[in-house]
Amino acid sequence: MILEIKNLTKKYNKQKTGLSNFSMTMEKGVLGLLGPNGAGKSTLMKIISTISKPTHGTIFLNGEDIVKNPDTIRKILGYLPQDFGVYPNLNAYEFLEYIAAMKGVGGSGLRKRIDMLLDGVNLTAAAKQPIGSYSGGMKQRIGIAQTLLNDPKILIFDEPTVGLDPEERVRFRQLISEMASDAIIILSSHIVSDIESIADEVAIMKTGTLIGKAIPSEIIKRIENKVFETVISNADLPAFKAKHLVIDTSRQGDKTQLRYISGFQEIEAGARNVPAGLEDAYLFLTQN
Amino acid sequence: MNYLYPIIKADYLQRSRSYAFLITIAVTIYAAWSFVPPPEANYTTLTMFGYKGVYNSAWVGNVTALMSTLVLSLCGFFLVIGGIKKDVDTEVGLIIATTPISNFGYLFSKLFSNFLILLTISGLAFLVGILMFFVRSSGYPFHIGDFLFPYLFMVLPAMFLVSGLAIVAEVFLGRKSILQYLIFFVLFGVLMSNVNSNTKNSMVTVTDALGIRTVFNSVKDKVNTEFNENINNVSLGYVIHKNRTFKTFVWEGVSWDWLFLLSRALWISLTVALVYLSSFFFHRFDFKQAVKKEKKKAQEDFFNAAVPYSGFQKSALPAIIPAYGIFPFIKTELMLMVRKDSKWLWALNIGLWVATLFVPLTFAYSFLLPALLFLQVSRISELTTKEKTNRVHYFTYASYKPLQRMLPAQIIAAFCLLVVLALPVIARLLMASNLMGMLQVLNGSMLIVLLSVCLGILTGSKKLFEILFFALTYIVFQGIPEAHYLGALAFENYAGMMVIILMINALLLIFSFAVRNYQTRNL
Repeated sequence: MILEIKNLTKKYNKQKTGLSNFSMTMEKGVLGLLGPNGAGKSTLMKIISTISKPTHGTIFLNGEDIVKNPDTIRKILGYLPQDFGVYPNLNAYEFLEYIAAMKGVGGSGLRKRIDMLLDGVNLTAAAKQPIGSYSGGMKQRIGIAQTLLNDPKILIFDEPTVGLDPEERVRFRQLISEMASDAIIILSSHIVSDIESIADEVAIMKTGTLIGKAIPSEIIKRIENKVFETVISNADLPAFKAKHLVIDTSRQGDKTQLRYISGFQEIEAGARNVPAGLEDAYLFLTQN
Repeated sequence: MNYLYPIIKADYLQRSRSYAFLITIAVTIYAAWSFVPPPEANYTTLTMFGYKGVYNSAWVGNVTALMSTLVLSLCGFFLVIGGIKKDVDTEVGLIIATTPISNFGYLFSKLFSNFLILLTISGLAFLVGILMFFVRSSGYPFHIGDFLFPYLFMVLPAMFLVSGLAIVAEVFLGRKSILQYLIFFVLFGVLMSNVNSNTKNSMVTVTDALGIRTVFNSVKDKVNTEFNENINNVSLGYVIHKNRTFKTFVWEGVSWDWLFLLSRALWISLTVALVYLSSFFFHRFDFKQAVKKEKKKAQEDFFNAAVPYSGFQKSALPAIIPAYGIFPFIKTELMLMVRKDSKWLWALNIGLWVATLFVPLTFAYSFLLPALLFLQVSRISELTTKEKTNRVHYFTYASYKPLQRMLPAQIIAAFCLLVVLALPVIARLLMASNLMGMLQVLNGSMLIVLLSVCLGILTGSKKLFEILFFALTYIVFQGIPEAHYLGALAFENYAGMMVIILMINALLLIFSFAVRNYQTRNL
């Protein structure tokens, strides 16, 4: 299975561009999408999910144009939007049966499938309560369960871990790993550690364009030997920030411990080189 | 008070920046245009049993003001109600609740923003009214005061009252929208019931909440004096006449006395007082969880339970069986409609349904059935807007063939609901061999469903449909045969109306599918 995005542009109006000549190819596995707010991640996901049309460009799934024929992908699509809602008067079973009908899934096995999915997202005990009484995290888990109803081959998760507690995030990661063997999974998150632990490949976006796509270790390589830690006085902090890209700070009385990326050859006095992480690389690529 | 201004401004802008408001503006312009019919038109808006005024400045100014008061009081309530509910739904209310604003301050700002919305629409009707004076000009001079004073003294206080009633209804009846509508329906009937009273004393002026009676009395005095008549009734609203000739008279308008002006100030003060009293009962977005003990225990058990997790195994999931029918959608749509609103409303529905079996057929067909169908307004009005309101549209629009499956299911489900409610009348019509009547009940029910579908899709809001349905039901209750969408009252061109409704239904259907088709791909 191969998903090819070719020269995708989405213009909302003359001033606002969501995507600009965006091209990318994906195969089975998990692709993590990283980018600051407004980078175009949600726009890209909406277009792949067929609920938004691009201004230019197209997307091919196994050679078939899904912009022209959206129903091709809809049968095998699982999509979790960023700010989805539910019908509060339905319980989890009724809601999932409804979504299953939308996806064209039915038959005798549906009830069992829903049972297993509810168990997978830890909602069995609350399955017969109206969704209106659910917490934010529980609603998010119902959202995750609905993506899997139709045995999807393309899974799109826009900020899926929002509202999940640490234990549920671990469950979600297990679930994604289970699904990744025969599906294309695209997942966006602001939590870089989530992406780092789940994604086979990472794509970094900025202002509607793709600025890098590779496996995490290759992206990290780009800033190898550029990440440092040091301690400076609080008074020197503004001048230091003007010179380097500061990743993290922690105050220690009248001093501040810093983690920063330096583009210079010479090393600041007292600084020590530390191993780079994906978050360092992401900040370096999006802020430069 | 300074902090109220930005709140009122933000609320006004939020409400006025919508397609629904744009369409309301368009409807207002059309309605205001129709307030002053051409002399050869087959309808009138203000007459007195064979008499009507010449189109001088006073007549046109007062007719447009009277019609604005009537129409906007009737529809304005539906237009502005829901300001507090919006803050609940968007959870902006939670932020507001943590600010220092007092309950009265908040409710007063909502009252004022309601009023501003109605003021905008009244202002537009006022301008169109002036335009119509020149369009229908019959050579009489233009006096701005003939337009300005009726709007200032009659329309604006009435709009303020309606704005306040909407606030009071929201505070006391919360989300019970049907009850809000029913109570307003009855209240409006009471307010309008006495406008033709002949009693002339200070109390009558003071108790005339909408200020219509004063203008009526002035018109009556003029006709009765000039033509030596003793006519008691002034007819206000769209009344169809066929080839009827009217004697005309020159009416110079109302002389607004101090008592009338003071009475308007009294109604404005009463409105503010009502809103002030309501502020003591305002929930301030702190909703008590009315959960039954057993339910609460079940919820607590769920949250406390340590559920063992065996891990998710994709291979263990049952195989997918494709099913592309629309029956599951119809079932869910019906379930959502049935569960909407409280159980007491179903008791009322069942009571009316049973009554339609036993009361005389003419009464059941003419009045009980339209009332029973109107009781479903909040169920039907959300047919095509609930996906967006509940943010489920991401799922529906990304589903397999949403246009061919979802939309038909919504239409069929709502139509089934209305037909089930109309079954006793349909059966009795069949037994009475009134096949045309039965077909017209089906045709009219479909009209209501498709109006909701089309207006919901077009505006993204349920309001316009609710206003229209309310106005239609009100007109039906006035006994105007041409407006009875269920065809209960016989008139000359009965079959013609049936064909017209059928054509409207076809157009609404085509338009709904076309617009929804665009929407599903352009989020």
